[in-house]
Amino acid sequence: MADIIWAGIFIALLGMALGRGWAGYSRTGPSYAVLARREAAFLEAAAEVLFPPSEGLPLSGVEADLPGYADRYLVALPVRQRNLLRALFVLFEHATLVWPAAGRGGFRRFSSLSEGQRLDVLRAWESSGLYLRRMVLTALKAVLILGYVGHPRSLGALGLAPWKLESPRVEADYLYPPIGEGRDRLPDRASVPASSPLSPLLSPPLSPPLIPGVDQETS
Amino acid sequence: MTDNPDTGGGVRVFSDYVRGARDFTEEADVVVVGSGPSGSVVTYELAKAGHRVILVEEGPPFTPQEFSPDGNISMARTMREGGLRSTTGTLMPVLQAICLGGGSLINSAMCVRPPGFIFDEWSTRFDLERTTRADLDPHFDAVSEFLGIAPTPEDVQGPRNLLFRQGCDALGISSEPVDRNVRGCRGSGECYTGCRARAKQSMDISYIPQAIQLGARVLTSLQVQRVLSEGRKVQGVEGQVVEPFSGRTSHRFKIRARWVVLAAGCMATPVLLQKSGDLANASGQVGRNLQFHPGSAVAGVFPQALNPIFGGTQSYQSLAFLKEGFKLETMWSAPAALAVRMPGLGEALVKHFGELPRTAVWDAIASTHRSTGSVKSRFRSMNPAIRWRLHPEDMKVMLRSIHVLAQIFFAAGAEKILPGVHGLPDELHSAEEAEVLRDYPIRPGDLVTASSHVFCTTRMHGDASRGVVDEDGLCHGFDNLYIADTGIFPRCPSVNPMLTAMALAHRQAESLAERI
Repeated sequence: MADIIWAGIFIALLGMALGRGWAGYSRTGPSYAVLARREAAFLEAAAEVLFPPSEGLPLSGVEADLPGYADRYLVALPVRQRNLLRALFVLFEHATLVWPAAGRGGFRRFSSLSEGQRLDVLRAWESSGLYLRRMVLTALKAVLILGYVGHPRSLGALGLAPWKLESPRVEADYLYPPIGEGRDRLPDRASVPASSPLSPLLSPPLSPPLIPGVDQETS
Repeated sequence: MTDNPDTGGGVRVFSDYVRGARDFTEEADVVVVGSGPSGSVVTYELAKAGHRVILVEEGPPFTPQEFSPDGNISMARTMREGGLRSTTGTLMPVLQAICLGGGSLINSAMCVRPPGFIFDEWSTRFDLERTTRADLDPHFDAVSEFLGIAPTPEDVQGPRNLLFRQGCDALGISSEPVDRNVRGCRGSGECYTGCRARAKQSMDISYIPQAIQLGARVLTSLQVQRVLSEGRKVQGVEGQVVEPFSGRTSHRFKIRARWVVLAAGCMATPVLLQKSGDLANASGQVGRNLQFHPGSAVAGVFPQALNPIFGGTQSYQSLAFLKEGFKLETMWSAPAALAVRMPGLGEALVKHFGELPRTAVWDAIASTHRSTGSVKSRFRSMNPAIRWRLHPEDMKVMLRSIHVLAQIFFAAGAEKILPGVHGLPDELHSAEEAEVLRDYPIRPGDLVTASSHVFCTTRMHGDASRGVVDEDGLCHGFDNLYIADTGIFPRCPSVNPMLTAMALAHRQAESLAERI
């Protein structure tokens, strides 16, 4: 009889842990090439507290669609590094099931914590005496900051959007096709105006220096 | 294996192998492995001397349309291990390129000749009688002339570079505009993500096209996995075709050559030697003696707008502290990448982002001679296992460099700095407050550092029992195997290494051309 009771308790605890850890992620919302629902939920929850609405920037972390950005970044990474980063997201999402956040309801996955608790969890990583732990947070911040500050609306508002630049033709452009394409995609030499600089080794300065704030892409 | 006669006008890219869909063999007088600055110089000089040269590169060639201004995406596409390579021991990101042109495609074009005392140390400590500054000056000159290396002109400096000069002047610290391999720079500050203005004379648009015009062949997307050898001689290299970005390997290739030059970089070259049966390692030095120039950066916020996106990426420097073990320089990058070093979370973090238009970032690279490590091959991978530990005495040098940068910032009129040192306040608001940096008991891990300057894993030494190559880059104990990359540096050079690597490669190419 006792065995049955212990088994029941174990199953109940297991069910509770699974429920708090893995179940209940929203099945609606955007689909991603790489990101799983739990990873997207974590990124959204982290972005919400890392980048709250502010007067300085025109969009919040939630509005910047950082899961979408992270998904594009993961696609660009080699498989091993992609998996490491995804493991990092999962680690953050579920670490609070092992080391709960302070306060009531702290024994939940990261994305289910209150905003204050999430910020406290991230602060604990940032101020940790362990270098490795701080570096892990730095890696997470790096992914999210590059997506948030690098968002065209953020850069535009800061006056830091990339220059609108046309690349002059150089000899190399007739040698290298776009990556993954064949040589039939090389430009035709005959189509280039005679005045275009064909060799950078012979070309004069292209133009006067750019003037900040002029002719920039802001969208 | 079959011959593949189609060289595509001198360059072969991944799609060419897919179309061929077969293993293949090539032949040449010389095969050069790696298209970074050293390999490109060797290829060009040997092609100019009339030899049949094949240059092999694992990465693809990039066109401006493929440059991404996003720091993450750019690094994922142009750097080894997606830009996430790091050391163990002391954890430090290590940035190394995988693309035609190597690091020159995504570096800031700094070309700095080390002062004479650096080479004097090399000469005396490592039995290198012909490696003084005077010996190398003709080679520095040749490379400089080819690439149009010149000091950055005033009109493309921009405020964040000129403020550095202003701060140095106020403190009586010598500084100068950086010599760079650019022609027609417009100050767009995009060196690290690829120069869309085509001003930077990276190898893919300078040495390599010229080498092709002289008859060299360039085979991209080929991963060399083994050097073929018998006794004191090597016979060529072999490996597999590798798909850009995914890294998926497919059919095999072999290149037979009378001479082999390994210019795959300080990490890949020792791994390749280890994977080839521990080649050229009679001294036991292959993969050992690893050194870096760890970099640390300080951000300074000024009261006025700086328009920091305008100006050369790294255009001003100070060599005043080289003998103390560090070099100071300005820097810029994709703004979001710079924002990564901003401290804090939530509102405090976002507040720092809002200050970016008034922010300059200056950095120091340290000559950490005491901090050494090793590079070893991994099972079933051509990526290295990198072990390295930052020595506590070198940490003190790095802290001193941050202290000096702080002084320069406040002398230039900064209202605050973000020192980026764990355990100190996120912001320091005056030169007096910054004095806390002077005696702070710093520990490894208190600084977030990174490095793209890597050295010494196949070091040059006049004594064959203590080094891997001789002064001409010829491997001790071999008749026809050369190494031409920063791995042959006997010590870290204390300044940005590209120009020194190219000058040494120029000398090696002359020597090799004579022997051929």
